[in-house]
This record gives sequence, structure tokens and C-alpha cells, in this order.
Amino acid sequence: MMLFNLSFKIFLRELRSGYLTSILVSLVLAITIVSGISLFTDRLEKALSAETEEFLGGNLKFESNQNTVKSKLQTQVFQDIDFMEMVLFASVIFSEEDMQLSSVKAVDNAYPLIGELELQNKSGKFLTKQSPELGTVWMDERLQNLLNLSYGDKIFIGDSEFIFAATILYEPDRASGNFAFAPKTIMNFKDVDSTNIIQPGSRVEYNYLFKGPEDEIENVRNYLETIKENGDNIEVLSEDSSSLGRTIDRSENFFLLGGLIAVLLSACTVGIASQRFTRRHVSYVAILKTLGMKTTQIRTMYFLLFLFMTFLTLLFGLILGWTLQSQFINLMSSYFPTELPPPGYYPILITCLTVLICQFGFIYPHIIKLITISPMRVLKDDISFDYGFIPVFLMGLAAFLLLLYLYTDQLTLSLIIFFGVIGFSAIGIGSIYLLLGKNKKGLGASGPILLALSELRRRKFGNSFQIFAFTIAIGLTLITFSASKNLLGSWQTSIPEDSPNNFAINITPEDKENMQSFLQENNIQSKPFYPVTNATIFKKEEQNEEDKIDRNFNITWIEELPEQNDILKGEWFDKNLNNGISISDDISDRYELEIGDEVFIKVGEEIIKSYVQSTRTVNWDNFSPNFFIIGHPSLFKDISSTYITSFYIPSDKQYLAADLMREFRTVSVFSIEELIEQVKEIIEQVTQALNSILLLTSLSALFLAFSALQDGFSVRKHQSAVLRTLGASNILIKQSTLFEFTLLGLISGTLGALVAYAGIYFIETKVFETTANFYLEISLMGPLLGIIVVSSLCYYLISGIAKQSPKKLLMQ
Amino acid sequence: MILEVNKLRKEVSSGEGKLVILDDVSFNLLEGQSLAITGPSGSGKSTLLGLLAGLDTATSGEIYLNKEALHELDEEQRALLRKEKVGFVFQSFELLPSLTALENVMLPSELKDEDEPEERAKYFLDRVGLKEREHHYPNQLSGGEQQRVAIARAFACSAKILFADEPTGNLDPKNGEMISDLLFEVNSETDNALVVVTHDHDLADRCDKKINLKLGKIVE
Repeated sequence: MMLFNLSFKIFLRELRSGYLTSILVSLVLAITIVSGISLFTDRLEKALSAETEEFLGGNLKFESNQNTVKSKLQTQVFQDIDFMEMVLFASVIFSEEDMQLSSVKAVDNAYPLIGELELQNKSGKFLTKQSPELGTVWMDERLQNLLNLSYGDKIFIGDSEFIFAATILYEPDRASGNFAFAPKTIMNFKDVDSTNIIQPGSRVEYNYLFKGPEDEIENVRNYLETIKENGDNIEVLSEDSSSLGRTIDRSENFFLLGGLIAVLLSACTVGIASQRFTRRHVSYVAILKTLGMKTTQIRTMYFLLFLFMTFLTLLFGLILGWTLQSQFINLMSSYFPTELPPPGYYPILITCLTVLICQFGFIYPHIIKLITISPMRVLKDDISFDYGFIPVFLMGLAAFLLLLYLYTDQLTLSLIIFFGVIGFSAIGIGSIYLLLGKNKKGLGASGPILLALSELRRRKFGNSFQIFAFTIAIGLTLITFSASKNLLGSWQTSIPEDSPNNFAINITPEDKENMQSFLQENNIQSKPFYPVTNATIFKKEEQNEEDKIDRNFNITWIEELPEQNDILKGEWFDKNLNNGISISDDISDRYELEIGDEVFIKVGEEIIKSYVQSTRTVNWDNFSPNFFIIGHPSLFKDISSTYITSFYIPSDKQYLAADLMREFRTVSVFSIEELIEQVKEIIEQVTQALNSILLLTSLSALFLAFSALQDGFSVRKHQSAVLRTLGASNILIKQSTLFEFTLLGLISGTLGALVAYAGIYFIETKVFETTANFYLEISLMGPLLGIIVVSSLCYYLISGIAKQSPKKLLMQ
Repeated sequence: MILEVNKLRKEVSSGEGKLVILDDVSFNLLEGQSLAITGPSGSGKSTLLGLLAGLDTATSGEIYLNKEALHELDEEQRALLRKEKVGFVFQSFELLPSLTALENVMLPSELKDEDEPEERAKYFLDRVGLKEREHHYPNQLSGGEQQRVAIARAFACSAKILFADEPTGNLDPKNGEMISDLLFEVNSETDNALVVVTHDHDLADRCDKKINLKLGKIVE
């Protein structure tokens, strides 16, 4: 009890004195980041896995591009199996006043196989286990608002008229749907034919859901495997939940690794602050030992002190972490159907483990050294406190590796990152060390500039570490700034102004010419009308499994090489040649198809023999229809197809899109502006989430740099006292220190700008897949930010020194 | 006259009101003379030395150092005076740990922007018998050696007056005796005045003048 009271007293005294601030703030930052990320991903995972059965819509799902499965299934007998069929497609839906692209799900009468729908109509909210009545549709709230609909209003899908009967508040089987971001409509399966939407070559997906006992589901699965064709997919509950789990695990690991930078920076700050803490406690421990306290008692006392610190930092860190995850959830709330469930124990566990590893790796080694101090120190204060840098450093490294393993759960990946970070830091600090140059004889105290330069060189190792920390802080701050300001802009500017902003699909051969005339009459430039159909490619005529290229393609046939497609190998179609097909370079690589290779194209029941005539690059971002495989028209004379095209409608002529859709009801026209808006929204949300993590990380880096700076200032304080005693003016000390830190800031800022350029390049090209840009303001802001931040911090620290008399400073 | 002190008083605020550290201290010192300030702990010896050297300011009274009214100067002017006229030796040596012995001794000449500071420093290091250890850092030197470096630095100042605060206080008797010999020996080669705060009676006896402080007042 005595030890408890004593260590609590010391803890309170240390808290009040402000000496623990660095350790506390750093630990709170680390806890905030780790708990924020893990709480968020844990709740997300829980929400999804708790509803997996409902999410899938059944115990087994069979996805197919063909609707031939049902007739085959009717020849089979399965016991106790419930079965349902649905078809999914995208279509434009018209109201009296408006129109909107929607992801349509047409369900049969067995829907919903699992769970209940929550709907709302004039009478209020209600639950149902039925499918929509014939001639009626249900829509989600977003679509209802976009089309400005009231219950009972008429809407049009293709050639048919429907009544809007209810708003979907919650639906099971949300895993279905191709156009995840398009608002949802549910209609009755029997109404699909009357719409005339589904034509040859239309993008539709048939889903067959099964519910029943486990072994019978296995029988269904075995049967489905025998009739499964290319492009078909079987999903069962356990696999689906584990794949969902894996996806979330991966994204959690990705975010945690991002957060790990902040944890590591905080841990370094904790290490520096602990070193300072132990230096101050050397005499304290020596006195306690002299007074007869046992080493084990002293160890317990410090252990308790750090336990109090753990509780305090966990309390604040978890509160802030909860706030951070709430912010993430608010940002992305529109994608979550219901409120997320509360988190489990895992986030708390990983956070506590992080704190423990930080303590044992970065605080405890210092305390162990502290406890070894001889009581003779009381009598002879020149007894050196042998710091044993290497074991302390190794303990820190071991803690870092342990944290990596905790976050990634993969030893190889942990080792790669571990050596990567050590290599990057060693190269970074080493380069700065070399950049600062060799020491010259003397302190150069004759003038401020000489003195500053000499100081920069003399404290080369410490300065290199400080510059490195400031570089990371400034680099991350600049990335945060640039991401919030430029990322969206850079994505938008990568789209040319007159790029097509509307796509039209499902154009029947009968509508094709009329539609072309309509566009011409209204001066709308369109891309070519590409015929399109679904096909499978085989390398041999026998169609063995191993020769099949395992996917379906939407292929087209055209004589002209499409824009922004460049031939890499072979030749484009020519009247004088025996023409074949042209494939994209990635298809050529992936399926090892070379020029001249024979291929068999299966369209429906027909098989067309041809060969690879050319490979080409495709620009997928040009808002024109693009194709992996283009055949020569002569090969596809008798193949039925629909057409696809894209065109640009200026903003002042948007009414033309409505006119077009009214005239050609089975054609699906959708504005990409809506999609662009959605992508923009996603980029904005991801950027904000990214910024929160980056901001906290740069705060950790700044705090580390400040701690390192503060640590070096005790030596600086003594030096300035000696120099002033020897007659150096205050101005000389102030000017040289300011000049030294301005230079330090300039170097850090310049290097920080380089780090920011590298980071932004990575985010733009790899994360958001846009083109990389050069932002001039970063090269100006980096050095400026460096100079202002570093010299202000330095001014804050030095002003305290300059105010005191040299005698007082020497006595401290 | 190198040093003239009239009615010097130093008060500091404490929790229990004002505390008088020095009261009515007056004395003077001629060029080339040496003075020992003695007295028990807490008598105000080091405070007086700090005031005389311009490291701190008095509450009232006058100090003339080399005929300049130290009590009328601000910190920057006092720093200039210290640079030009004053040398120091401290009980705890006060060497800069990041500089070698040679660089520590070069410091005063560098601050004055004198020519060939290295040559001058080498001469004084040689004079205190540390020529062989000029590239050693303070932590590689013994206490006695560190104090010899401090003495070399004090004499490298070309000061008019040298202040030494307990120069043998941190040393064993043998090293202490060697340091006090060195201090007087080198001082006799120059025309410097020497003011020493000390508990060491032998050292005090070697000085031309002595003042003994008790509770902030001169008692003999």
C-alpha cells in the first residue's frame, strides 16, 4: 500500500510538472489511431457477418448470364429445398417529370427466401415476406426522391407502365446487384417480358437462390457444378462470409498499417521522453536505495506509475478513438443500410496490446537501466549512468516487429515492412548526416552564421534525426493538404470537357437507324454504334476445360480501329487480308494468346473459327465503349446483337436525353455525370478518412520532432550559459540559433516536399488511378512550412533561455 | 583600480518575503592584486562573485570594473565587458562537452574574432601541461585535467581580471594543490587581478587580500 501511495504521489507530481506530457500525448495519439481504426472495421465486420445469411439471400446462390438454369433444375428432384429466381439489370426509369438510372431486381413469388423486407407506404412502415404484386414496383428512398414520386404514381420501365407502391427501407440479399451505387428498384419477375428490356447482348444477371438443409444444399451444389458454364458463379454461405471477412481483414490491415506509422512515431517520442524521465530520476532512485528501499520495491513503484499512465492514456485515447470511428461511420453512413452493431472485444484487445508493447519496448528498458543505478551516486554524482544504448535500441526494434506482426498477422509481410522502414530511416538519416558535411575546428563563435553552421554539423546525428522527423511531419501535412485540395481536381481535369457524358445500351437493330437520325437532327456527336454480344473464347475446337478462357466477353465487330486504341503487334483489319480478331494486350498476356493463334468464338450455340490478327492497347478512361475483343464484321454476319454507343449532350440541352429516352423506351440511356458525381463523392469520403489518419500521423511526427528538439535544448541551454558567461551577446545566441533552425527547417521542408511528391504520386496513380500531377505550391509550401514551424518552435524554446541570467542558467 | 565595490546589496524574493543575500559590501582591488572571498556555506560568496563578474545584477550599490560602472550596464553591455576584460574558472569546470579541449580553449578568442585562435589556445594548453590531450573531449579527461583546460580557457581570454569560483572544490587535495599552483603561476606571468571564492585556507592565504563573509556581510 505504501508503494501504491508513493507511486501515485510521484505520478501526480510528474503530471503537474508537465514532464510526462510528451509520453502521455504520444500514447494518447497512438491509442486514438489504433482504437479508431479497429473499432470502425470491427463494427463493419460485425454488421456484415451477422447478416451474412440475409446478405447472400439464401444458403447458396448461383449466378449466371443465361436463364437456362431453371429448365435444367426442373429435371432434378431435391428434397426440402426452397428455390427462387431473380434477374438483375440496369435500366432508366421514367416518372411523369423525371428519369433516373436504376439497378433493377426482378424477383419471383418465392422472394424473399430468407428474412423480411421493411417497406413504407401511405399507412406507414411494415414488414413483408412477399414479392411485389404484378404491375407494381418498390424503390429505395433515394430513387423515390430523385424521381419525385408519391405512392400510387405511375412510372415506366422500357415499354411497360408500373405503379410505385412502396419505399424499401431494408431488404435482405443486398449482395446482389451489378450497379451497386445505382438506386434500387424491385419488381415482379413476371413483368420483365412486357418491358422488352432484355435483348440479345443485354447486360443481365440471373440469380438462383437455394435454401435448405446442409447436405441437400451440397447435392444442389454438386449438380450446379456439372451444369456450370463460363462466367457462372456458385456462392455458398460459409465461403461468402469468409471472403467478406477476408476483404474486411485486408482493409483493416491496410488502415492499421497506415496507423502504424503514427504508432511508431509516437513510440519514438515515448522512447525519447522516457530517456529524459530516467535521467531526472537517477538521483531519486539512488536516494531511495540509500534509504534502504529494495530494487524489487523500486521496480514495483515504477511499474505502478506506468500502470496509472496506461489507464489514463487508455481512457483519453479510447474516447478520442470512439470519436474518430464515429466520424468514419458518419462519412460513409449512406452505404450502411442500418445502424452498425456495437463493437466486440477485439479493438480493445489490440489497443491494449499496442500500449503494452509500446511500454515494454520503449519505456521499460529505460526503467530497467534506471533501477541498476548504484546508491553511491548519492555520494559521487559523477558516477556515470551507463545508458547501454544498444540493448535499449534493440528492445525498441523488437517491439516494432511485434507491433507489425500484431497488425498484419503475417510474418513475411512484417519482416518486409520492418526491414523496409529500417532501411528507409537509415538511408534518410544517413543522407542527411552526409549532407550536413564535416566538422570544422572550433565552434565558429565569431558570428551568428558561422556558429549556426558549426552547430548544425557538430550535432549531426541529433540534427539528422530531427530533420528526419520534421521531414515526415511536413511531408504528411503537405500530402493531407494536397489530398484535400487537389486530388478531386486532378481526377476531374483528367476528363476532357467534351468527353461523352451519356451512354446508351440495349439499342435494338430496329432502333439503331432511328436513333442515329435523332442524334444527327439534334447535332449531337456520338461515338460509333458498336454491335455487342456475349461470347466465350476457346483455344481449341474441342472446347476442353483447359482450353477455355475462363470468362465471358462482350465482343464487338467493326472495321475502323476505335479512338485511343493503338496496335501493338500484328495488323488492323484490311480489305485485302483474311481478317480475324484483335485482342487487348492484357488479354493477350493473361491467356497467352499470340499473333496467329487459332481461336474459337462461341456465341450462343454457334462457333466461329478465327485467329488473333492483332493486339492493341486500350484507354479505358476515355468514356467511349471499349472492348477487349474486336472481330472483323465478316465473321459475325448472322449474329444477332444489340448496340452500344456514347455521346456528349451539353448541359443546356439535357432535355434531349429525356426526349431520346421517351422515343426509344427499351434503350437504356444513363448519364455518366451521375456516376462521375458518385465517384467524386467516394473520392471525397475516402480523402477525408485518409486525411484524418494522415493528420494524426503528422501530429505524431511533429510531436516526435518537438520532443527531440526539446531534448537537445538542455545541452543547448548549458552551452548558451557558458557562451554568455564568456561574453557572447544574447543577440549572437538568438541569431545563430534562429539561423540554425531556419536552415534545419529549410532542409526538412525541402525534403518534406519531396516526400509529399512521392506520396501524392503514389495516391494519385495507385490509389485513385488518375494521372500524376506536379503541384508547384508544394515545393514552395514545404520549405516555407519547415522554416516557420521549426524556427517558431525554436524561438519558443530559446526565448526562455535568453531571458535568464547566465548565472541562473549555470545553476540549473 | 581594477575593481571598486560600494555598499552592494542583493535581495531575493522568497515565500517568506524578501531575503537579504548581501548587505553593505564595500571593498576595492588594484590591478595585478589577488583577493580571496571566504566564508561558510550560504554566506553569499558565489552571489558576490556573480555580481562582480557581471553575471547577475545587484539590488543596490555600485560596482566599477576597470573603471566602468557595471551597475549601470544592461545585459548586452555586461556581456561585452565580460568578453573583453573578464576570465572565469568554475568549480564544475563548465566546459562544453561537444568541443575538444583545444576547441574549448579557442572559444574566447573566437568570440572576440581574434586572429589565429588555435595558436593561442595551443600555447595555453601547453602552459597547463595538456598539449598531448588537446583533441580529447571533456568526458575523456579527469576532473583535474578538466579544470586545467578551464584555466587555460580563462587565461586565453587576455582578461584584466580573473574570477574563480571554488576552483579546487571538486578536486582531491593533490589535484587541488596543483591547480592552485597553476592558477597563481600563470597569473603571475600576466598583470591580471585574481578574485577567488574558496573554502581552502591555503589557497586563501596565498592571496594579497582576503574578505570573509558571514550572513552576507564582510566580517573582517
